[in-house]
Amino acid sequence: MSPNTREILEVSGLPPEGAKLSRIWEWFVVAAVALLFMGAIHLHVMLTVGDWDMFVDWKDRQFWVLVVPVSMLMIPAALQAVFWHYFRLPIGMTLGAVLLLIATWITRIFGWHIWGYFPFTMGVPSTILAGAMACDAILLIVRSSLLTSTFGGFVFALLFFPSNWPSLAAYFLPVEHQGMVASVADMIGYVYPRSGTPEYIRLIERGTLRTYEGSTVWVSTFFAGIVCIFMHMIWWRIGLAFSTQRFVATSKRFRRFMGLADAVQPASKA
Amino acid sequence: MRTNQHVPGRIFRALILVLLWSQALPAGAHGERAQEPYLRTRTAQWYDVKWSVDKLVVNDTVIVTGRFRLFHDWPDAVRPPETVFVSNATPGPVFARVDSSLNGVPARQSFRDLQIGRDYEYRMVLKGRVPGRYHVHPMIAVKGSGPLVGPGKWIEVTGNQADFSFPMTAISGEKIESLETWGVSTAVKWHLILLGVAVVWILWWVRRPLLIPRYLALKKEREDLLTTNVDLAVAIGLLVVTVALSFGGYAWARSQYPRTVPLQAGTMYTAPLPAQAKAVDIRFKEARYDVPGRSMRMVFDVTNLSDKPLRLGEFATASIRFVNQHLPAAKANVAPGYPQDIVARTGLAIADDSEIKPGETRTMRVDATDAAWEIERLTSFLTDVDSKFGGLLFFFDAQGNRYIAEVGGPILPVFRKSA
Repeated sequence: MSPNTREILEVSGLPPEGAKLSRIWEWFVVAAVALLFMGAIHLHVMLTVGDWDMFVDWKDRQFWVLVVPVSMLMIPAALQAVFWHYFRLPIGMTLGAVLLLIATWITRIFGWHIWGYFPFTMGVPSTILAGAMACDAILLIVRSSLLTSTFGGFVFALLFFPSNWPSLAAYFLPVEHQGMVASVADMIGYVYPRSGTPEYIRLIERGTLRTYEGSTVWVSTFFAGIVCIFMHMIWWRIGLAFSTQRFVATSKRFRRFMGLADAVQPASKA
Repeated sequence: MRTNQHVPGRIFRALILVLLWSQALPAGAHGERAQEPYLRTRTAQWYDVKWSVDKLVVNDTVIVTGRFRLFHDWPDAVRPPETVFVSNATPGPVFARVDSSLNGVPARQSFRDLQIGRDYEYRMVLKGRVPGRYHVHPMIAVKGSGPLVGPGKWIEVTGNQADFSFPMTAISGEKIESLETWGVSTAVKWHLILLGVAVVWILWWVRRPLLIPRYLALKKEREDLLTTNVDLAVAIGLLVVTVALSFGGYAWARSQYPRTVPLQAGTMYTAPLPAQAKAVDIRFKEARYDVPGRSMRMVFDVTNLSDKPLRLGEFATASIRFVNQHLPAAKANVAPGYPQDIVARTGLAIADDSEIKPGETRTMRVDATDAAWEIERLTSFLTDVDSKFGGLLFFFDAQGNRYIAEVGGPILPVFRKSA
């Protein structure tokens, strides 16, 4: 046991047995929280980002780099607030990103590949791990939610595209198909038919962001950074609000209506 | 005692569950009969559909060809075909699509501005991927309305899925061994590298007192114990590592794949097939659906505008074909191997089946009777808010030339046999 650990335990006032029990209890909490948030973050991402993260032929230069980081930041930012506010643990966003990536690969393997016959190439997921780790590190360095939102939120979005390009660049090689140019990602979307997902349904860059000689991705990235600053602020506060216990005063009539003992007891005595 | 009483019930429920589970077979078709009749009878009228084979081995191809007419009385509830994607309906990617076209124009991307009342010809090449027996349909998806499914045929794929591959060569020269696996190992390795750094960061904190002691220490305002200078140094190191990894990885990917292209998204355009000279003029009079008899009775006036005598050979709607069994040209128009479950056994009953002379106008009474109306769930037009039907009539001259006309209008139900 390090001197720092010993000192923390001493200051906490826990007896040795209590400290041991609290450690065991913590592992149960970690297991439960991990599963709960793995499901929650993944569900949230499926509902808000959906196809942009599911399919390789939706990962465009305009919307993917904007919508995905903005949405994927939300619950991890709330987790970051909870872990920092109550425990001074700067791991909330990293934990959220790790859980999300694990959950995503589980669904890609079991849902997409085994159940739905799709090849892994169709569903290579995006990851927010780099941005999340950077944001946690910034939190510990600046020790302020405002500055973390300002710098961490922006860096989170800024790192999204470069940290995903190593796993996705291969899908944007040009190929020729029926006399037309296509990216490998386009071909994967075309070769493996999704009956309910026609080509036109893709919400991707249609050439409307005509600027900086095709550097659409960095324009979107900077815009995503600005949005992520405010999104981090909002979800930090949502995290705190949902982890705060509040006792709401209720009337005797309401308690009796709910069948609560202190309200029912006098009536039964009477 | 209480628990024992529930044991038989629990065993029974478990057996039911196992039984239901064991009956849950993989889907071979995909609910095409669930599409409302107005979608199937009054939008795309599919004809001349052909499947090149009905059995193939993994990596072999089946070619699906045919035509569709966009029906003139397009339902109000369906968006007009302003943006259309030509596709195939199969239960998932059990076939790989090699290429497809509409009127010879590549159909990898969507088409714009298809014209109602006109014909289009499609072709798609599908490669067997997952062994099994599947219902394969041509399909178009209309933006704002969804898929319109054509006739389906059961096709069997044999062999081993592990043998499937889809190699390509990039314009920049890279050999893609198969679209099934291309780039996956790199993506997994990259994710594992990032996960490794993240796990080290989490373990750095988890190895120390985690929740309760930290919470209590924080309440006693001993925040100084919870994050040390070493933690700060590690955090700065983490920040440097993540930024370096991200931009280093980006630079590596740029060096590996210097020539990349964005997703391709433009729409395509093709003019419809040349319109056939109008050989017949149809004036719809009435239609009734005999519910107990499973029979549709139509009355319409036909005027032969051509210079040849014509006979009615077929009525086709919702991918069901009612063929005049007394007309050899009409029977020959049903390709060998065409799925017989969507060719009405009783054919087409015509009150006066004699030739319609050039210039003659005749009132025709036609019965299209078959259980297919029920099996294909087409009778729910009786409960639609827009109780109308539509279909194609195929007329033939003595030389076997075919002339297509549209027929359609309101339809009345007949609920009693005596009616």
